[in-house]
Amino acid sequence: MSAGRIAYERLLWISGCLVLALVPHIRLIPIWVLGICVAAGAIRLALGARGHDAPPRILRMLIACLAIALLFVRFHTFNGISAGTSLLALMAGLKLLETRTTRDVCVLILIVYFLSLSALLAGESFWLLGYLVGVCWLTTATLLRLTVSEPGPNWRACLRYSGRVLLHAIPLAVVLWLFFPRFAEPFWRVGDAAASANSGLGDSMSPGDITNLALSDDVAFRVRFDGAYPRPQERYWRGPVLYNFDGRTWRRTDANFAAAPAFIAEGPAYRYTVSLEPYPHPWIFTLDWPTGADLPNARMTGDLVLLQSGPVSRPMDVAATSHTLGRFAQDLSPALRLRDLRLPPHSNPRTVEFALQLHREHPQDDEFVRSVLEMLHTQEYYYTLEPPPLGANSVDEFLFETKRGFCGHYASAFAVLMRAAGIPARVVTGYVGGAYNQYAHDWIVRQSDAHAWDEVWIAPRGWTRVDPTAAIDPMRVDRSLRDAQSAIAAADIDLGGNLPWLTDVRMRLDAVRQLWRENILRYNPASQQSLLAHLMIPEPDAQKLVWVLAAGLSLALGWLTWQVRRELRPRLNDALARAYARLCAKLAARGLPRAAHEGAEAYAARIAAIRPDLAAAVVPLCRLYNELRYGRSQSRAAVGQFALAVRAFKPRDSRAS
Amino acid sequence: MSGLRHAAARTLRAWAARRFGIDALPHTISRRRIYILPSAYGIALAGIIIAMLLAALNYGSNLGLAFAFLMASIALVGMHHCHRNLLGLKVDAQREVDGFAGDLAAMQFVLRNESGLDRWDVEIRCPGTVTGAGKVATSAAVAARAQQQLKLAIPTPRRGITRVTQFELCTRYPFGWFRAWSYVHAPLTIYVAPHPHGERPLSAAGAAHGAAAIADIPGDEDFAGLRTYAPGIPLKHMAWKVLARGREAAVRNYSSIVAQPEWLDWFALEDLEPEARLSQLCRWVLDVDAAGRPYGMRLPGLQLEIGRGAAHRSACLRALASFTVEADA
Repeated sequence: MSAGRIAYERLLWISGCLVLALVPHIRLIPIWVLGICVAAGAIRLALGARGHDAPPRILRMLIACLAIALLFVRFHTFNGISAGTSLLALMAGLKLLETRTTRDVCVLILIVYFLSLSALLAGESFWLLGYLVGVCWLTTATLLRLTVSEPGPNWRACLRYSGRVLLHAIPLAVVLWLFFPRFAEPFWRVGDAAASANSGLGDSMSPGDITNLALSDDVAFRVRFDGAYPRPQERYWRGPVLYNFDGRTWRRTDANFAAAPAFIAEGPAYRYTVSLEPYPHPWIFTLDWPTGADLPNARMTGDLVLLQSGPVSRPMDVAATSHTLGRFAQDLSPALRLRDLRLPPHSNPRTVEFALQLHREHPQDDEFVRSVLEMLHTQEYYYTLEPPPLGANSVDEFLFETKRGFCGHYASAFAVLMRAAGIPARVVTGYVGGAYNQYAHDWIVRQSDAHAWDEVWIAPRGWTRVDPTAAIDPMRVDRSLRDAQSAIAAADIDLGGNLPWLTDVRMRLDAVRQLWRENILRYNPASQQSLLAHLMIPEPDAQKLVWVLAAGLSLALGWLTWQVRRELRPRLNDALARAYARLCAKLAARGLPRAAHEGAEAYAARIAAIRPDLAAAVVPLCRLYNELRYGRSQSRAAVGQFALAVRAFKPRDSRAS
Repeated sequence: MSGLRHAAARTLRAWAARRFGIDALPHTISRRRIYILPSAYGIALAGIIIAMLLAALNYGSNLGLAFAFLMASIALVGMHHCHRNLLGLKVDAQREVDGFAGDLAAMQFVLRNESGLDRWDVEIRCPGTVTGAGKVATSAAVAARAQQQLKLAIPTPRRGITRVTQFELCTRYPFGWFRAWSYVHAPLTIYVAPHPHGERPLSAAGAAHGAAAIADIPGDEDFAGLRTYAPGIPLKHMAWKVLARGREAAVRNYSSIVAQPEWLDWFALEDLEPEARLSQLCRWVLDVDAAGRPYGMRLPGLQLEIGRGAAHRSACLRALASFTVEADA
C-alpha cells in the first residue's frame, strides 16, 4: 500500500463500486444522503479530471460535520440499519471527496464491503445476493488494481483474477454458512428491525386505512396446512381485535381479558404452519378461531388473538391449530358487555337513532343483524377503493350520505349500528382468502387480502362473525376496485383463465421463491440439527456442530491449498504432452534424463547408444511421439494408445541387463 | 510499537539464520521457509469482517451471514495466494558488488519463475545492511516461465567491506491484506571503494617513477598513423577517406601499447591524510582506466602490477576498499 497519488481511472472505478453498493439502499436511506454521496463523487471526479486534488480540509470538515448533524436530527440515533447505513454512506461519500492516496481508497473499499452487507440485512432476495456478490467482485478487482504497483495487471486480468479468488472462496463460505452456530435470539435489540418491512395492519383502524394496503401485492404471510384446509368462506385470518371507538377510529385495548368467555371448539380441527414476514407488531395471524399454538413466550388473549412478547422482528414459522366452528362457554360479564357496547356520546346521532328504530322493528338480535345486512345489500351502497373523505361523524356521513366505502367503513358502521341497538360488537382486522400454490403446496396471503369484519355477541352461541362487506351487491362493487384487484391478480398468481401457462409459470416461480425462503432465509439451528442428522451423525447437538464445522473447514482448506498449488505447476494441457513427460520421467528415474534441448529422435538415439537393451522399446515410442506431435494424423485414439504404451513401458535398471 | 516489531523481526532473522544455515545460490524458496502475517490493512479487514458477522448474527440474516463468510473466505484465499506468490521462486544474487563511499552500491538479483503463473510485486530487501537504511527495497513482477533482474541500490556511506549475510524476499500481493516473506542466507560482499576525490595531476606521479619502456607492438587498439595497403589486412582498417581523395590505398596503423604505464603510488602522496590519499588513488584509477592506459598501484605492503581492463580496475578498487589504515602509517 503505497501512499502515492491516486490515478483518475482508479478513482472512477472506486466511485463506480460505491454507487453500485449504494443502489440497493435507495429505499432505505434518506435521499439527501445519497445526494451528498453522488455530489461528493461527482465533485471529486470533476477535480480529478482537471488534475486537481481534494478540496481544502476546512471545507471537507465543515461538510462532514453538517451532514452528520443533519443525520442525527433525522434519526436521533446511529444504531439500526437505516441510521447506520446512512452514516456509513455519508462517510463513504465524504471519504471519496477527500481521497488523495491509495490508502484512502483502501479505506473506501472496506466501507463498500460493509455497505454491501448492510443491504443484505434488510433484503431477502436471491437477486440481491447475486448482485452484491457481483459488487464484491468488482470491488476486489479494484483493490487488486490499486495495491499492485505499476505496471500491474490490466483491468481485464484483475477482474479475471478476483473472479477466480471469489470462486475459490465459495466452498469455504458454504461450509462456514452451513455449520457456523446460529443464535436464536439477537445479542441486542435494534430500533428499526422491521421498519423497513411493510407494516401491514396497524393496531387501529380509521376510515380508509386498509385502502392503501389493497394495492400492495407484498406477501403478508404464507400458510401450509397439514391435511384438510377450510372452505373459502371460512378462510378468515384473525389479527388484532378493536374495541375502542372515538367516532372515527377504532383502537385495540390492553384491558384484562381474565373474565372473557371461554371458546369451546366444535367440528374439525385445522392444523397449519404460518410463515410470517416481519412486521412491527406482536400479534400473529391465525385462522379464525385459533385454539392452540406452538410458540414459546406467546399467549392467546381472551379475544382469541395470538400475541408474542415482542414484535415479529424476524421471519418466523408458527405451528397453530384452529377450529372454524365453535361457541362460547358463558355469558359476557357485565363489565365486558359495557365495554363492547360503549359509543362516544353525541357522535353519529343519526346512526344511533336509525339503529334504535330498526331494532324496535326487529327486536330479535339475529333478525336485527339480518335486516342490517339486507339494507346494505338492497340499498345503493357501493364498495370502492376511492371513498369520499369523511368528517367527524364518519359513520353518519357514510351510511346516509356518501354510501361509498371500503371494508373498514362497512365494518365500522356495522359495529356502531350493533352497539347502538344494544348488541355487543367489535371490529376484527386481518386478512381474508389467500391463493393456493400447487407447487409449493401452500397458501399465500398478500397485503391486498387485508380485511376488516365484525363480531357480534348473540346468545346463546356468543361471538359470531359477520362480514358486512360480503353483503354488498356484487353489481355495486366499484369498477376501479375490480380493476385494481384484477391488476393485482394479473401481477399475482391468481390470474387463471385466459393465460393458464402464465399462471403456471408464476406458480412455479413462487414455489422456487418459497424453497429459497424455507431453505436459505429460514435456515436456523433446527435446520442445522436436521442437516447433521442427514449426515448420519447420531444425536446432533451444538458441540457436534462445531466438530463438523472444523472437519468441513479442514476439508475446504485442504481443497483450497491443493487448488492454489495446482496452478503453480507448469501446465501440460494435452494428453500427448503428459504421456511424453511421463516417458521422460521414467527414463530419468533410470538415470537417463532428457536434456532440455534434446528432441525426441535425438533422445531415443542417445538412449539406444547407452542402453541398447532399451532401444527396442524407446525408439518406436519416440518416433510415434514425433509422428503424433508433428505428423498429419493426430487422432485421439492414437494419443490414447501412445499413453497406454508409455504406461506399460517399464525400463529395467542397467544392472539387471 | 515499531521498536517491538523491529526487535521481533531481528529475533526471527537470527533464528532463521541459525536454523537454515547458508543457502546455495540459486536458491528455491520452499514452503517451509515462507512466513506470513496479516498487514495493518488485513487487520482492518478482519475488524470489518467481524463487524459484518456480528451484524448478520444479530439481525438473524442468513444472507448477511453468507456475505460475511464469503468475505472471510476471500481473505483466506488471498492469504494462500500471497503465500503462493513467493512459493517455488528461484533467486540468485551477484556475490560481489562494487561501490563507492557516499554513493549507492547496486546489488543485483535474478528472480526466476518456472511456474505457469505470473508473480507480482516481489520485493527484495536487505534488512540491517546499513543502520537506518533497513527500508532499502525494490520490487518487480516476474512473468510465468521468465526471469527478472532486480537491482537493489544500497547506500554506502563509508569506505570498507560490507558483508550481507541475509536478504529478504517479500510480497503483499494480491490485496495487501497479508505480507509473506522469506529469508535467504548467502554471503554477499559489497566492496566500498573510497570516494574518488583529489586534484593531484597524474603525470606528476607517473613522471616520478616513469621507467617503463615504450613498446610498439602492432595491435588494434590505438591509432598510430597510416601505411600502404597490402592484401590480407582487414578491410575495417582501410582509410576510406584517403582513398576517396584519389590517393593510394592506405590502411590505418594501430599499436596496442603506445602509452606510458602509470604507477599510482601511495607513497607519492605523503603530505595527505590517509583517507584523502585513498580518495586520490581512487580518482586516478578511474581517470587512467577511462583513458584506457595501463597502470599499476602501490600501497603499503601491496603492489598491483601493470595491467588494464575491468578486472584490473576492480582489483585496484577492491584493494582500496579493503585497505586498512595503520595508525602510524
